[in-house]
Amino acid sequence: MTAYVARRLWQFFPTLLGVVLLVFCLFNWVGGDPAYMLAGKISNPEQIENIRRQLGVDQPYAIQLWIFIKQIASGDFGASWSTNERVSDIFVTRLGPSLTVLVPLLVISTLLAMAAAMLVAYVRGSLTDRAIMIGCTVGQSVSILVYILVFQYVLAYQLGWFPVQGWGAGFAENLLRYSALPIIVGVAVSLAPDIRLYRSFFLDEINQDYVRTARAKGLSEHRVMWVHVLRNAAIPIVTNVMIQVPGLLAGAFLIERFFSIPGIGREVILAVERSDFPVIKAVTVYVALATMILNLAADLLYRVLDPRVQLK
Amino acid sequence: MRLLVLLLGCSVLGSQAADPAKILRVTFQAAETGFDPVKVSDYYSGTIIEAIFDPLLTYDYLARPAKLVPNVTESLPAISDGGKTYLLRIRKGLYFADDPVFKGVKRELIARDYAYSIKRFLDPRNRSPYAFLFEGKIAGLDELAAQARKSGRFDYDAVVAGLETPDRHTLRIRLKERDLNFGHVLAFTLVGAVAREAIEAYGDEAASHPVGSGPFRLKRYTRSSKIVLEANPGYRERIWQGKRVPMIGGVEVSIMEETQSRWLAFQKGETDIEYQLSEVAPSFMTEEGGLRPEFARRGIRLDRSVDPEITYLYFNMQERIGGQPNPVGGLGKERIALRRAIAMAYKVDDEIRIIRKGQAIRAHFPIPPGVAGHDARYRSGVPYDPPAANALLERFGYRKGRDGYRGLPNGEPLVIRYSSTPSERDRQFDELMKRSLDSIGVRLEIHKDRFPELIKLENQCRLMMRASAWIADYPDGDNFMQLLYGPNTGQSNNACYQSPEYDRRYEKSRRLPDGAERNRLYREMARLMEAHTVWLLLDSRYRNVLLQPHVQGFTKHPVLHAEWLYIDLTK
Repeated sequence: MTAYVARRLWQFFPTLLGVVLLVFCLFNWVGGDPAYMLAGKISNPEQIENIRRQLGVDQPYAIQLWIFIKQIASGDFGASWSTNERVSDIFVTRLGPSLTVLVPLLVISTLLAMAAAMLVAYVRGSLTDRAIMIGCTVGQSVSILVYILVFQYVLAYQLGWFPVQGWGAGFAENLLRYSALPIIVGVAVSLAPDIRLYRSFFLDEINQDYVRTARAKGLSEHRVMWVHVLRNAAIPIVTNVMIQVPGLLAGAFLIERFFSIPGIGREVILAVERSDFPVIKAVTVYVALATMILNLAADLLYRVLDPRVQLK
Repeated sequence: MRLLVLLLGCSVLGSQAADPAKILRVTFQAAETGFDPVKVSDYYSGTIIEAIFDPLLTYDYLARPAKLVPNVTESLPAISDGGKTYLLRIRKGLYFADDPVFKGVKRELIARDYAYSIKRFLDPRNRSPYAFLFEGKIAGLDELAAQARKSGRFDYDAVVAGLETPDRHTLRIRLKERDLNFGHVLAFTLVGAVAREAIEAYGDEAASHPVGSGPFRLKRYTRSSKIVLEANPGYRERIWQGKRVPMIGGVEVSIMEETQSRWLAFQKGETDIEYQLSEVAPSFMTEEGGLRPEFARRGIRLDRSVDPEITYLYFNMQERIGGQPNPVGGLGKERIALRRAIAMAYKVDDEIRIIRKGQAIRAHFPIPPGVAGHDARYRSGVPYDPPAANALLERFGYRKGRDGYRGLPNGEPLVIRYSSTPSERDRQFDELMKRSLDSIGVRLEIHKDRFPELIKLENQCRLMMRASAWIADYPDGDNFMQLLYGPNTGQSNNACYQSPEYDRRYEKSRRLPDGAERNRLYREMARLMEAHTVWLLLDSRYRNVLLQPHVQGFTKHPVLHAEWLYIDLTK
């Protein structure tokens, strides 16, 4: 087990190096010269050079890349080029709002999707199964933008159940008042694909021999489904949830923008719009690291969920 | 006796402090970048800075075109030496807002604060986007900046001949050249006074700890999300129409990037003023530019004004671009004819109707309405007339080939390269441009690049043609006419236009105050620009501001954006 973890941790380095090279090349290839963004309406070549010197983009690419690697090693990505705010501060202050929305969203959507998937898998081929699957296919085909626009218009504006947007100073206010609608939107968006995916996991298990044996032993359907099937189907579900987390953190920008949530996703878009490379660098590295760590954690969880799994 | 009662009444009214229960809720459609006056260039940060800091001069809130008035000075500056020396006397007894950096002592606003604040614009470490306001203008300041570039440290204690403070409340500014309109620079929002001890104490964090002497101070700040201002309790007694200002207790600014969010929040009453809803303007406006009856019935009001900006299409006037011949460059007759024909084929009215959704007016003069020097009677001499444009091209030898596209008079292929960003809005402009050039048989090539790269190429005179915009930094015609001044090539003169006739008139105009003589020069310069067809002036956009019924006293000023000082809430 220890050897397995050590080997996986060792594999982080080449993966991270690939990510670093990719983001560095992409930024320098398509990112544009940030000095011209920061120079204002009227600037002369001397000012442009002064800005480039201060940002360090006048250095040869090899040196800039080396600085990038040193920043990853030290965990200090410097300050935002456009706001001068420390990148570490950006993450510390934006992570809370993102998690306030994403953690409940993920928990609720996973539980609901699992329950619904188990139900439709159990009644496979029935009218209920077909109706839910058709609904899921339609739901999955609709863009998240449509969900946001419709839910915000109907639930917040027309019915007045929620504020249209906003973010307060206290955790309880943010969770119960401002996050409620974004969570509902997020759950609605993720339910359809999750139900379809989890249904296939449950179907794989329901057809296994051990299920037939359990039934032959006279176990109740309730116990067969909730204990035997669920436990085995949970393994790919855990993987799916774990893989989703880092992507959701940076990818929930539409929800954060429409509901004015000061989270990571919104910050990423701002950084891209402003060619703010320190922030882009940090986000990319952190998301890559989070993906690798959560993948490892998912593998370790397999062993907890199913002692038969051997990690080699 | 009645006069005494009236005066007493005014005094009582005037002494009323801001009502803390009145909180104005507004939105920004993009995030701010910070509140250090010398380090920002965006509208949103500038608006907050305007509310927190005090420039020496300001503008009359109601006068149009904008009129300079004293802000912290006893009067408008005494200008002597033919416009080279400005003497400003700062009123005594004005203070910065209380801040821990002052260690419990009231900190008076003095002349040295302004000298320090002006110096900061040229400190290379600040890489100020508005350094151009003072570059080459104040005696001795550029030399100090040059020293700082060499030594890596700006010596704020060094004596600058052009920034004298003979006593605590007097500032004497000596300019290198005559400039009778320098007052506009002193009224610029970002030229507010900062306290040196606050800047030094907060260091890199000064952008999130603004300490000013203005009507509001920062109460709570969540970057890119919420900015909460409260009325500065130590703000000087300032009376506006019989009331002490600010009348409101604070302003809550929410950053909402998405139009739908802002629009629904306003309709639901979650915000009080909505500035930027041009994308959904047809939802609340009639075709005539009024407010739809269903909104008017709810007491909602519309404040409509034209932004002090112009949008224009420019041609690169250089003969060659990156070593290659530039078909639209130069002052030869056939080149002028080609530029003129392109300008005559572009239907500005379609741009306003389709792309701007009717929310703009045609720009005829390089100086927009609301800005000193604007000529409302001036009409562009370049009509929309594709048949005439085709005839013009025929006359100058641009013959059509078998493919229906014209070639150069020497028989070589003619391709016009138009540059734009990959945004959805720019794609609409691309289509209109393509349609326009097709109507005169000129082949168009669209060059796509990111905005910073386009600016870089533009500054190097390497773009052939592009649409651009300029909004007033200060409401004086000079801010617009400098866009075609030859020596500004590589900076703001994006057409890279070099005309001794234009430059001579521009230099003369800079030595004149706003008035008939300067306006005459501006008209001549505009006609010259048209004769050479350097630009095709396009439009100036409307600013439609929606107000909830309880918002009182709002009117959009051309360059002041924090109108919150004059607003009252009646709820």
